[in-house]
Formats: sequence, structure tokens, C-alpha cells
Amino acid sequence: MSALDNRPLLTLESVDQPEQQLAHYQQLLKQHGSPLLVFDANVLRNKFESLQKALPGVDLYYAVKAHPDSHIVSVIDALGGGFDIASAGEMDLLLKHKISGRRTIHTHPIKKDQEIRDALRFGATTFVVDNLYELKKLVNYRSRIGVLLRVSFRSESAKVDLSKKFGCSPDEVIELVSAAEKLGIHIKGLSFHVGSQVDNAAKHVEAVHACHSLMEQINLSADKPLSVLDIGGGFPADYALAGFDIQTFCAPIRDALSALPSDWHIIAEPGRYLIAPAVTSITTVAGKSHRNGFVWYYLDDGIYGSYSGQLFDHAVYPLQVFRGGEKHASIIAGPTCDSIDVVAENILMPSLEIGDLIVGHQMGAYTAATKTRFNSLPDAKLIVENL
Amino acid sequence: MKHFKETLYDAVCQEYRIDKMYFESKTSHQHLMIFHNAQLGRVMTLDGIVQTTEADEFIYHEMLAHVPMLAHGNAKRILIIGGGDGGMLREVVKHPIDHVTQVEIDQSVVDMAIEFLPKHSNGAYQDPRLNLVIDDGFNFVKNFANSGEAKFDVIISDSTDPIGPGEVLFTDDFYQYAKQCLADDGVMVTQNGVPFFQADELQNTQQRMSSLYSDMRFYCAPVPSYYGGFMTFAWGTDNTGASAPELSVLQQRFSALGIKTRYYNPAIHGASFALPQYVIDSLTPSTDNIENGQ
Ligand SMILES: Cc1ncc(COP(=O)(O)O)c(C=O)c1O
Repeated sequence: MSALDNRPLLTLESVDQPEQQLAHYQQLLKQHGSPLLVFDANVLRNKFESLQKALPGVDLYYAVKAHPDSHIVSVIDALGGGFDIASAGEMDLLLKHKISGRRTIHTHPIKKDQEIRDALRFGATTFVVDNLYELKKLVNYRSRIGVLLRVSFRSESAKVDLSKKFGCSPDEVIELVSAAEKLGIHIKGLSFHVGSQVDNAAKHVEAVHACHSLMEQINLSADKPLSVLDIGGGFPADYALAGFDIQTFCAPIRDALSALPSDWHIIAEPGRYLIAPAVTSITTVAGKSHRNGFVWYYLDDGIYGSYSGQLFDHAVYPLQVFRGGEKHASIIAGPTCDSIDVVAENILMPSLEIGDLIVGHQMGAYTAATKTRFNSLPDAKLIVENL
Repeated sequence: MKHFKETLYDAVCQEYRIDKMYFESKTSHQHLMIFHNAQLGRVMTLDGIVQTTEADEFIYHEMLAHVPMLAHGNAKRILIIGGGDGGMLREVVKHPIDHVTQVEIDQSVVDMAIEFLPKHSNGAYQDPRLNLVIDDGFNFVKNFANSGEAKFDVIISDSTDPIGPGEVLFTDDFYQYAKQCLADDGVMVTQNGVPFFQADELQNTQQRMSSLYSDMRFYCAPVPSYYGGFMTFAWGTDNTGASAPELSVLQQRFSALGIKTRYYNPAIHGASFALPQYVIDSLTPSTDNIENGQ
């Protein structure tokens, strides 16, 4: 039997005024059907401002991949944020909003020639590379572009290791910068991504220090100095509902950044922290049964849909039900015929009825972004509030 | 958007105030705007890059049209590739030609230019000597090369940048087919970018054209809205007479033409083939760059 699923579960007893919340969700379902994802633009604005305060002087480029949605883009646009893009599809989304390529950076370390051309036509002129093969692909475009060299710093605590697949080792940096110089390509700075959903900022701090000293060392002799440091993403969502505080989290990063020359340009590519808490999933219990000592609930959304992040992103989303009382060992399953389509395997829950709602919190990042078409089930519709 | 920021280069960018938006179209991968700017008049941009402005288009169009035509001296059949805004056509039809074919990939660009950039074509699209072909410039020269039709005395490639819809107009095959469309004593010219920032483009064109023509050179003129100083134009011909006409001959042809110009004159014509030293130097790249560039 699988271990107890002890993610945060909000029940009637654990929140104030659950009736109001329930009435609001029910109203949305009545209007738009089930399942839904509800995007609250105010939460995104709030998180953007908090991160901006926690990292003063750092330009934020929203990682579009976290949730490539038009409404989300328009909110970031209005806040004056930049965009981290990695594909032609993401550029098309920004083009619809007439967002200038000058407000974007293209961060995919591996690109086909056509992708480089598409990016240039779109107006993105900052590219990221981590090896000599990629540098050579940029030779034809060297007069137009600025390049960030991505360095790998692996974090033990990251839920998603983004320094395993990409990034050169710090020892290779000096060699690659000089190889680029010989190719006539300007490396304007370094970037790193310590991994997504890290517990603490230790790896960011280590990476800032390491990049700082590498850049200073290179600048002693480079004829075109390095002056951009891209500190990536990794800022976590509060999946534990533990009152995560971004100010405190970023304090050591602020310290590390304060040692950098004041004319350097510092940027970050946050995805998850900004958008995770701004989106809530609402699903409906479509069926119920009792099997092998568990109460099974079958939802109208699951692992192949909005909850895909539980598989691809290793996230565990806090859930909320609008029942109270005695708890039973339960299994929450998604709508497809596949047996891996299970949202919670062995979770203690009050008894629900068919037609009840199950709400998933912190479900804005890497959720809808990775949904599949399996079973041809309809997508959860995205509803926008407070735009 | 109240300002347009050019996205041509990462480290520098020119910014234009948008005083009035006349036209904007966004299709996937393509963003076209025509707006008014107090200093430059109507400005057309494509994919974040300035294409033409009313204030300084005369420099570009006069130099790309009159230089090859007056150098040739008896250009009767002209081919314009691109040039949808109509400015090149306007200059070409000022000459006593028999025929001009213009190949534009997109009819809507022509329609839009007639409506929103009327001063560019200034009625030239009505000229009875014009055969407007809506086709890919590459396809056109490829088909025409084998068609047996009378060849052209002057071919003008008025393309967008090498990245974008004009890509194929910067390939070896295009130059080869274009040569086959050109009369033996014909002249081909192309726009070739701003070498101060785009030296590579100069080298690439030189590689492609110098094997095709006994006389392959560049000439230049500064077009303010193509930021970066001199713009270069590539020149290719086997007609040595056209390559270095006497000033007096040019003067005679020019006054016989009896047109008013604002940049072109016979002295500028000759002088424009004198290249600044940095341009000459970038035509002979350092070995490091040859080794790794392509
Ligand atoms: C290059 C790059 N930048 C930014 C991000 C966003 O990271 P996070 O969501 O942890 O902020 C990612 C995530 O995959 C990434 O790959």
C-alpha cells in the first residue's frame, strides 16, 4: 500500500468562511462549466511586486513556459516586466500583444538555425548558449546579437534540476568566452538556473559569487567587458501553505548582488513563484466508489490535464474540499482510463458526494502548460478574475 | 505603443516616436507598421526594423535606380525585385524605358503602400510600361532565366534584410539566376546593408557576386534612418563601359534626362564608388574570421 499522502488539505474546519468561498466557486462552475482554472490577476500583480521588492534593481523576465497564456502575458506587460522565451510559439503569443522583442531574452541553450532566425525576426537579440557548437551557430548573426553564457550550478534541494541538462561547467567559462571572442561573438554576460522550486537561496548565492569572480577575471583582459548577470528562476511556490516569505528567501541573494559593480545589469527569469499562486483549479467529483478499503473519487480533471505537473514537475498541490468531519483513506483519481491518472493515492479526507468540488491551490505553474490531449477530454477552461 | 524601438542590434537601438499610427498588421511571424514621426514623416517598419521613411527614402531610391541606369546609358528593360513601397519604381519610370517588371511577393504590400505611403510610388503603379508580378522574387528569376524572353538591361534587388521574407534574395542560386536574366551588357545592383554594423553581409555578397561578374564592386550613400553611417549597394556587370563612365558622359545623360534629384548627381555617382577605408578593410577579413565564419 502506498504511503499516506500528507499534502496540505483544507477542509470545512480549516478555513474561515468556507461558505463564501464555496459559493464563489459554485457560481463560476455554473457560469463556465467544470473543470476550470481560475487566474486571479491581482495575485500575479502582488507576487510581481513582492519579488521586485525582494530583488531591487533586478529586471524580471517572466518565464513564459511556466504558463503560456495570453491574459497572464497582458498582466506582466502592463507591469512593465520582460519575458523569457524559448520557442517560436512563445514569440507568437507575445507578438499578439505587440510586445517588442527588446523586452525579451531567448533562453533556450539549443536552437535550430530557423529558430534563431525566427527569434531575430521577432526582435529578440539576446541568446543563451552553453557550448562551442551553439556558439558557432550564431556566427552568421554575430553583428546583431548579445549572448549570455549559461553556467551550471546544481542544487541538491531543487525539485526540478535545470543544471543537469544545460549549462557549461564554471571551469569552461573562460575558454568559451575567448572562443566566442575569436568567432566575433560578443558574450555580454553569464546566466545560470539553479533549478526550479529550491528550498533556500544557498545555490543562488554560490552561483552569484562564482559568476562575479569569473566575470571580474574575464574583464581584466576582455576588450568587450561582461556586464550582464542573469540569475535565472528557482524562486519557490508555497505548496506547503507554510507562509513562505520571499523577502526572507531573497535576503542572501540581495547581499550577494550588492557586492557586484553597480553598472552591471542584473536580470532574473522567474516563472513558478509569480504564477503558481495566481491560478486555482476547480474540479467536480464525477463518480465515487469503494474499492480495496479506499473511497475512490473520480474527478473531471487529472494527471493528463491540469494536474500534469504532479507527474512532469514533481509538484504536489494543496487541495481543498468543502466537507468536514471524520476522515477516511481516500483515492482521488482523474477522468482518463489510465491507472496512473491518480491525483492523490492515499489521502485522509472527509467523505465527499458526487457533484462536490475539489479545489487545487498554487496551480499556475507548469500545470496547464504540460497538459495532454489524452482521451480527447476537454481542457479545463481558464477563467480570469480582476484583470 | 507610443514608441518604436528598432530590434536590429542588441547593444544599440534607434527609437522613433509614433505620432500617429496609420496601419498595423500582425500575422504570425510578421509585424508591419506605418506610422507618422514628426522628424521623418511616414515610417514603415517590418519585424522591428525600419524599412523606409518619407524624409530620407530619396537617397536610397535615387542611388539604387539612377546609378545603374545612367551608367548603362541605354537601359530599356528593367527588373525590380521587391520594392513594394513603390519608391524604386517611381525613380525608374522617370527614365525613357520601354518596360519595367516589378516582382513583389505580396500584393497587399503594394496596396497598403499606395494607400498609406502614397508619396513613395506617386502614381508610378499606373505607368503603362509596368508589368507588376506577384511572385516570390526567387521563383521569378528562376523561371525567367529559362524562358527565352528578352533579358533585362538593369536588375535592381530592393530587398528586405537577409533574415526574414527576403532571405532567398541573398542566396547563391538567386544571384546565379538573376545573372541569367540580365543582358550581356546589363547591370545588377542590390541593397547591401550598413557595413559599419554588418560587415559580414558585405563579405557574403562579395563572395556570391564576384565570381559571376567581371566587375563587382560596392558603392555607398548614407541613409540616415538606416542607422550606422554609409549603406552599401552591390554592383555587378560585365559591361566595362558602364563601370567607369566619364563624368562628362554622365553629365550629358543626366541633363538629357532632365529630372530633378535631391541626392543623386553625376559627381556623387562617381564619388559613391570610393569606399571608406573601414569598408575596404572589412572586405578583406582577418584570418580568424575566415576560418570560422561561413
Ligand atoms: C531557462 C529557464 N528560465 C527560467 C525558468 C523558470 O524557472 P522557475 O519557474 O523556477 O522560476 C526555467 C524553468 O524551466 C528555465 O528553464
